[in-house]
Amino acid sequence: MQQGPAPKKKKVKVPRVVNGIETMVEIEVDDVGGPGWGPNDKHALLNHHLTRVDGPLKVSGVAEYTYDKRVPGMLYGRILRSPHPHARVLKVDVTAAQSIPGVKGIVSIADNPDPAAVETGPAKSSERRTITVNFAGEPVAAVAAETPEIAQDAVRAIKVEYEVLPHVVRAEDALKESSPKVYEEGNLEPKDSQGYATRVATALETCDVVLEAEYRTPIVHHASLETHGHVVDFRGNNTATVYASTQGTFTIPGDAAKELGLKESDVTAIVEHMGGGFGSKFGIGIEGALACRLAKQTKSPVKLMLTRQDEFLLAGNRSGSWQKFKAGANKDGTLIALQALQYQLGGLGDGSQAGQPYIYRVANSYRERMAIHTNEDASRAMRAPGHPQASYAIECLLDDLAQRLNLDPLELRKKNLRDKVYHRQLDRGAREIGWDRRNKVPGATAGPLKKGIGCAVGTWGGGGNNQCKVDVSVARDGSVLVAVGSQDLGTGTRTYTRAIVAEELGLQQKDVTERIGNSTLGAANASGGSTTSASLAPSVKNGAYKARMAVAEKVAPLLGGIKPEEITFVNGNVSGGGKSLAWKQACATLPAAGVTARGEWQAELQGSGVHGACFAEVEVDVETGRVRPIKMVHVQDVGLPLNRLAIESQINGGMIQSLGMALWEERVMDARLGIQVNPSFGDYKLPGSAEIPELVVIIDDDDKREAVIGVGEPSIIPAVGAVANAVFNAIGVRIHDLPLTPDKILMALSNGRTSA
Amino acid sequence: MSDEDKKRSDRPGRSYDESRRRFLKGVGIAGAGAALADHLIADAHAAAPEVDRTARSITGTVEIVLDVNNQKRAVRTEPRTTLLNALRNHVEPPITGPKLVCDMGTCGACTVIMDNQTAYACLVLAIDAVGKKITTVEGLGTPTALNGVQAAFVEKDALMCGFCTPGFITTISAYLKQNSNPSLAEVQQACKGNFCRCGTYPRVFEAALAAAKVGTSAGQD
Repeated sequence: MQQGPAPKKKKVKVPRVVNGIETMVEIEVDDVGGPGWGPNDKHALLNHHLTRVDGPLKVSGVAEYTYDKRVPGMLYGRILRSPHPHARVLKVDVTAAQSIPGVKGIVSIADNPDPAAVETGPAKSSERRTITVNFAGEPVAAVAAETPEIAQDAVRAIKVEYEVLPHVVRAEDALKESSPKVYEEGNLEPKDSQGYATRVATALETCDVVLEAEYRTPIVHHASLETHGHVVDFRGNNTATVYASTQGTFTIPGDAAKELGLKESDVTAIVEHMGGGFGSKFGIGIEGALACRLAKQTKSPVKLMLTRQDEFLLAGNRSGSWQKFKAGANKDGTLIALQALQYQLGGLGDGSQAGQPYIYRVANSYRERMAIHTNEDASRAMRAPGHPQASYAIECLLDDLAQRLNLDPLELRKKNLRDKVYHRQLDRGAREIGWDRRNKVPGATAGPLKKGIGCAVGTWGGGGNNQCKVDVSVARDGSVLVAVGSQDLGTGTRTYTRAIVAEELGLQQKDVTERIGNSTLGAANASGGSTTSASLAPSVKNGAYKARMAVAEKVAPLLGGIKPEEITFVNGNVSGGGKSLAWKQACATLPAAGVTARGEWQAELQGSGVHGACFAEVEVDVETGRVRPIKMVHVQDVGLPLNRLAIESQINGGMIQSLGMALWEERVMDARLGIQVNPSFGDYKLPGSAEIPELVVIIDDDDKREAVIGVGEPSIIPAVGAVANAVFNAIGVRIHDLPLTPDKILMALSNGRTSA
Repeated sequence: MSDEDKKRSDRPGRSYDESRRRFLKGVGIAGAGAALADHLIADAHAAAPEVDRTARSITGTVEIVLDVNNQKRAVRTEPRTTLLNALRNHVEPPITGPKLVCDMGTCGACTVIMDNQTAYACLVLAIDAVGKKITTVEGLGTPTALNGVQAAFVEKDALMCGFCTPGFITTISAYLKQNSNPSLAEVQQACKGNFCRCGTYPRVFEAALAAAKVGTSAGQD
C-alpha cells in the first residue's frame, strides 16, 4: 500500500474519564478533514424523532441481556457477604458447603490473603486482597453450583469466624478524636483548596448581608434494574468469552484476562444489551473477579449476577455530601464573598463534589474539599458525579439569600451568572412553569395545601475523545453494516449509529444494520461522563462518509465519469451528471467483497460544555408533610440533537432520578451496627408511577453548534435544587438535608425555623 | 442469603419467612413428588421436626409441566423454585422476558399473566403454577408481530435500558383488557407495581393511552 504524506496534526482538549470521573486533557489528533454535520435543521434523519432500532426486541422480551444468558454447562455463582462493618476474618470453613451435592467451586478471602493487609487495614486498591473486611457487605467468599438454589444453600453453609473490630459509619462520628480509624492516616482526608481564605474573611465584613448555612445530601444508589454481573464462559483452555453488564465493553477483557491467567486478546467481551449502569459499571469489579476465579477453579462457565441486596451493599453508590457555607452579598444581590467547606462522604472511597461556588461568579471565594471516610463501601461515579450535590447546595444558598434580601431568586441568579445562555434558559423555563405564580414570600399560600415553585441551573462537559474506530461496510447486494465495539446503555447508541450511516448514504434506518457490544469489533470508549456520543458519532460519520466516497468512486463511471464528490446520495438514489441509480443498482458496481471504510474521530464534529435550567412546582400538605410534585421543566442545550426522541427520554429520566434524590432516596445506616437497614426495593424508596409529575423537556434549539455533545448527565444536575427550592417556596422553611421526607417537613414547620 | 440476612429473617414477627422456611423443610423431608403441588400436603408437612439447615441442603426435585405461552413446558425443579427462576434458569430453552430484579415482589419486572391475572413470577412457586395458563411478554407478540401495547412502547419511546419493559408491557396489556379506555390517573395506578430506573414513566403512560385508543378504535376488547 502506498504511504501517503503524514497527516497534519492538531491539538484538541478532550475529556478523559476514569471510572466515570471526567478531567480535561490536551491531545494531538490527525487533522483528518471530511465534511461537517451541516446546519442542525437540515438533516434527513438526525435531529428528528427516531424510534429505537432495538425497541421491538426489548418490548417482546427477545433482547438478550447478560442476566438472561445461559450457556451449556453453566454454573451459578453467589457471594457470601460480611455481616460486620469492620472485622478480622479468622477462619472460613467451607467443609459443609463443599459437601452439598451440586456445589462445584468455592473461593474465599482466606485463599490467598495479603499478609500486609492484615495489620494495615483496608487496601485502597480493589485488587489487593485483604483479610480484614471493612464494610458490611464486603465479599468474603463465593460459590459456584449447578443451580442458583444450591448456590444459595452453599453460601448459607459457609462458616466464617470473625473478630469484630470497632467501626464508624456516620460522618460526624468519624470526625471525633475517639473514632475508630478507617485508614491509618485518619478519617479526614484533605483533597484540595482554592482561593484565599483571608481575602474572603475581609470581604465578608463589607457585605450588606452574611448568611451561614450547611446543606447535606445522603448516599443514594444507582439501583440499575439489571444488577452487576457476568457470565464467564471459560472451560479451562486458552480463550474465554465474558458476557458483561457493563458501561465499557473494552474495560472487561483486560480485567478478566488477569484473573483467568490469559492474554487480554484471548478474552472477548460481549455486551449485547444492558440494563442500566448510571456510572456504576466499569471493569469487572469484585463480582467479576470472583466469577473468573470460580470459572478458573471449576473449568466451567460461571454466571454470577449480584442479588439485589448485594447490589445495594457492595456495588457502589453516589457519595453523600456535607457542605458548610459562609456567604456575603450586597443589597442588590451581587455575591461578594463565599467560604465553603465541602465534605465528600464516599465511605472507603473519596466521593466527589464539584467545587464551589460551582457556576456562579463570586468576587472572593475560598473552598476546601475533604473526604470523610467511614466503614461503608466505596462510592462510585454516578450520573454527573459530584454535580447534583454541589448544585443543590449552592442553589439552596441562593434562594436563602434571595429571601433574606427580598429579591426574586431568578433575578438573583442572573445577576451572578456571567454566561448569557443561562439567562436565556432561565427565561424560557420561567415562561413554561409560570414563574410569576410563585409565592413572592416563601410559604405565603393560605390553607394546608401549599404550592411552591423553584428553579436551579447546572453545567456539564459532554465532549468526546479519539478512541472510537468504526467500520462501515457496503456489500454488493446493497446491505450496509456499521460495526463498533461500543455499548448501548439504553441511551440509544444503536439507533443514532444506524441513523448517521443511513443519512450519509441517503437511506432509511431499516436499510442499515449495526453491530455493537463486542470487544473484537473496533475500539470504543467506556460510557462515562456523557462522552459516548461525542466520541462515537464523529467516528461513525467519518466512516460513513468514507464508505460513501468509496461507493461514489465505483459508481462515477456510470454517471458520465463525474467527480465522486459531486455525486449525491438522497432518498435511496445515487445521482449525478443528470443520471440516477437506485441504491442497489449502484452497489452492484462494487467489487465482490464490497467496500469497507474505517471511521476515525473528527474533533470538529463534537463539542463540549452545556448549561441547563430546571424548574419545579410542588404542593406540600403541611398537615401530613407529604410533597406532591406537580410539574417539572428542563431546558437543555445539546449542540446537534442526534435523536430528539431519545434525548427527551433521557432528560425525563434525569428529572425523575433527581426527584428521587430530592424527596425519597437515601441509604439509611444503623450507626451502632454499622449496617444498611434498607438494602432492598421494599425499603429504598424509588420514584414510582403514581408520583410522576407533568414533565416538560425543552431542547434549547438556540444552541446552533453543529456539534455532538453528550447529554446524559446534565439533566440530573439542577433538578435536585429546583425541587428543594420549590418546597422552600411552598412552606417558607428551609430543610437542610435531603431527602425532604414528611417527618423533616413537619419537624421544620413545628420549629418554625430552619432545621439545621 | 448471608449470615446477616438469616439473622434478620430469624427475628420474630417475620411470619411469612418463617412459614415459608418451615414449608421448605417439610418438602425436604417429604422428598420429591408431583403431589407436592397440592398445598394441603405441604401444609401437613409444615409441622415436621427441625433439621440442621446449615449442613444439609434441600435438593429434592420434581418434574412439573408448565403451560407457558400456549406451550406445555416440562421442567424439573425444586419445590422451592419460583416460577420466575423456573422459567429463566430451568426451562430449556429459557424464557427470559420476565426479569429478576428485586426478588421480593416490589418492582414488577417479572410480571406475567396467570389465568388472566397479573402475577409477580418471583412470588409464585413453580409448583403452584402447574395447571395455570401463563403468558409472558414473549407470548404477547414477537418483534415482527407486536401487540398494540408493544407497538405503542416502541412508537412513544417508552423504554430506555429496557429491563423493566417486559413487566410494564404485561401489566398494561392485562389492564387494558379490564379497562379499555383508561384515564391517565388510572394508568398511573395500574403501573404502581412496576419500577423503572431510567425514568420512562411519562412515555409508558403515553404508550398505554395510545394503545388503548388504537385498541378501542379497532373495536378490540
